[in-house]
Amino acid sequence: MTVKTIKCPKCKNEITVSGKPGEKTQIICPKCSSKGTFTFPKENSKSKTITDSFTIEVNNLTKSYNNFKAVDNVSFNVKSGEIFGFLGPNGAGKTTTIKSILGLINANSGEIKINGFDIKKRGKEAKKYIGYLPEKIAFYDNLTALQNLHFYAEMKNIPKEECKPLIEEMGIGNEVNKKVGKFSKGMQQRLGMARALLGNPPILILDEPSGGLDPRGVALIRNKIKEMKDKGSTVFVSSHILAEVQEVCDRVGIIDKGVIVAEDSVSKLSVKLNLKPKLIIELEKISEKIVESVKKVEGVEKVEAIGVMIHITCNQKAKSKIIISVEKAGGDIVNIQTKEPSLEEVFMRFTES
Amino acid sequence: MIVNAIFSIAKKEIMDNIRNLWIIIMSVIFALFALVFSYFGSSFGASPELGFQSFAFTIASMMISVVLLIPIIGLMLGYAAILGEIEKGSMSSLLSYSVSRIEVILGKFIGLGCVLFLSILIGFGVAGIIIAANISNPNYGNYLLFIVASVLLGFVFLSLAMLLSSILKKRSAAIGGVVFLWFFFAMILPIVVGSIELPTDWIYGVNLLNPISTYSEIISMSMLLEFLESVDINQMYPPNYNIWLLLSTIAWIAIPLLLAILTFKRRDI
Repeated sequence: MTVKTIKCPKCKNEITVSGKPGEKTQIICPKCSSKGTFTFPKENSKSKTITDSFTIEVNNLTKSYNNFKAVDNVSFNVKSGEIFGFLGPNGAGKTTTIKSILGLINANSGEIKINGFDIKKRGKEAKKYIGYLPEKIAFYDNLTALQNLHFYAEMKNIPKEECKPLIEEMGIGNEVNKKVGKFSKGMQQRLGMARALLGNPPILILDEPSGGLDPRGVALIRNKIKEMKDKGSTVFVSSHILAEVQEVCDRVGIIDKGVIVAEDSVSKLSVKLNLKPKLIIELEKISEKIVESVKKVEGVEKVEAIGVMIHITCNQKAKSKIIISVEKAGGDIVNIQTKEPSLEEVFMRFTES
Repeated sequence: MIVNAIFSIAKKEIMDNIRNLWIIIMSVIFALFALVFSYFGSSFGASPELGFQSFAFTIASMMISVVLLIPIIGLMLGYAAILGEIEKGSMSSLLSYSVSRIEVILGKFIGLGCVLFLSILIGFGVAGIIIAANISNPNYGNYLLFIVASVLLGFVFLSLAMLLSSILKKRSAAIGGVVFLWFFFAMILPIVVGSIELPTDWIYGVNLLNPISTYSEIISMSMLLEFLESVDINQMYPPNYNIWLLLSTIAWIAIPLLLAILTFKRRDI
C-alpha cells in the first residue's frame, strides 16, 4: 500500500490517498469538489508481501498508574505487510499498549514509531497512516451512520463518497440513514470497522474486532482483515478469540502482567515450547498389538486408545512411520487427522502463573 | 491541514447545536429577555408605565439578570465538550486521526463560541430590531456594544467550562464545578468585594479579577457616556480603564483556554 499526499490543482488543498502501485484512483477534492484521476507510481519490486522493515516499533514502553505497572518495558516490532496478533489475558496491558501506540496515553518511558515517525514528536504524521477500531466503540449518537462517517472522512481529508460503499460492504447498507444511537452493539462494531477502513489505511489497528458480533459478522471482519493484508496493509489485531487469531495472523505477541512473554509465529512458538502435533487415527477395529507397535515408533511420546481411535502425541517426522506401523500390525485405517499445536496451547503455556 | 481539522470539529459542534435546537432555544430566551425587560421594565417604578423603552433603559433593567444568565449558558455549553467525549469513548477515535489535541480544543471552542455568538446575536438582535421600531432615536451604538460585551462574557465562561472539562474525570464532578464557578463569580465574589471597604481605586482593580464585574463596568461606562453627555470619563475612571477592561476580558478567555490545552495534552484518554 502506497500513501501519497497530492495537491488539488484548483484550490491547492492537500489530499492524502492510498492505493497499490500502478492503481488508478478517482479523486474528488473535499474542498472544491474538483474531480481528477491519480495513478500510483509502479514499483520495480515484486508484489509487496511481508518485508523486514518495521511499520510499528515499540521500544521499552513503560506505563504506570500510581504504583501499578500496566506495561513494563515492553518492546516488539510489527513487520510491514503482516498480520500481527496481540494476545493476553484480561488486564495484561493490551489496550494500554494499543493506546500508547496511538498516542492516546502518555507513556512514562519508551519510544514508539509508526512508519518511522515518533508518535510523541510527530504524532500527526504518524497517525495519517492509521485506521483504528477501539475496543469501546463510540459514535455520535445523534448523527446517522453516514453523517458520522462523513465527519471522520472530513477529518481524514478524503472524499465523502467513500463512506456509503464502506457501510454497505460491512453489511449495514440499509441503516445508513439511521441514527447510531439506535444501533445494536454488533451494528456499531460493523460501523466501527467501516470507520477504521476509511481511506484504505496502510496500518490497521483493531482492538478486539469481534466483540459483540454474530458468527456472520466475525467472518466478515476476518475476511476484511485478510483483504487488507492482500492490499498491502499491515494489521495489528488484539483479540481473545485465539482460534480466530491463529487463522489470520502471521505472527503473534503475547503479553502477560504487562510484560511481553513471547513474539513469533505460532509454529515457531510451538517448537520453542516443544509442543508436539497430535495424530488421531480412526480404525475399523483396535487391538493391543497395534497400540504396542505404535508405541515402539521413534519420536512417539504418548499413545492413548479411545474406542476405535488412537490419539498419538509425536514429533513431525514420526507421522508417516506411525501410519506404516499401524498397517503392518494389521490395522484397517478409516480416517487420519492431524492436530497441530494450537495457539490456545501456546497461549496457556506462556501465560500460566 | 491544521485549519481543516479545527474547521471540521467546529462545524460539527455548530451542526449538533442546530440539530438539537439549542441555538433556537437560546435565541428565543435572549429575545424574550430583552423584549420583556424593555416592555415591562418600567412598570414597577414610582410612575408605572408599559411600552418599549430606550436601549439604554432596556440594557440597564436587564443587566442584573443577564450577568446571571449568560455565564450559566456558557458553562452549560462547554462543561461536557471534552469530558463527555472521553467518557463516551468517541475521543479515542477522534484522536486516532491526524489531529492534535490543540486542534480539538480550538475546534470545540470555536464551534461552541459560534453557537453562543449566533444565539446572542439572533436573540438580542431580533429583540433590538423590534425595540428600535417602537422607540424614537434609538442609540444603536450602545446596544451593539452590549451585544459584543455579552458575547465576550459568554466566551469567558465557555473557556472556563472547557478548562473544567479537560481537568475533571467525571460528568457529575463537572456539573459540581459549573455550579461552583457560577456561584463563585456571580454571587460569592461580588458579595465579598462589596462587604470589604476598599479604596475606590482598589475596587476598579479588583473588578478586573471578576469577569462579571468587568462586563458590568463596560456596560456602565457606555451608559454613563450616553446619559451624562458632558462627563469626562477619564475623571471618573482610572486612566485607560476601558483598555484594561478589554484586556482583562481577553485574558479571562485566553488563560483558561490555554490551561485547558495544557491539561488536555497531558491527559490519558
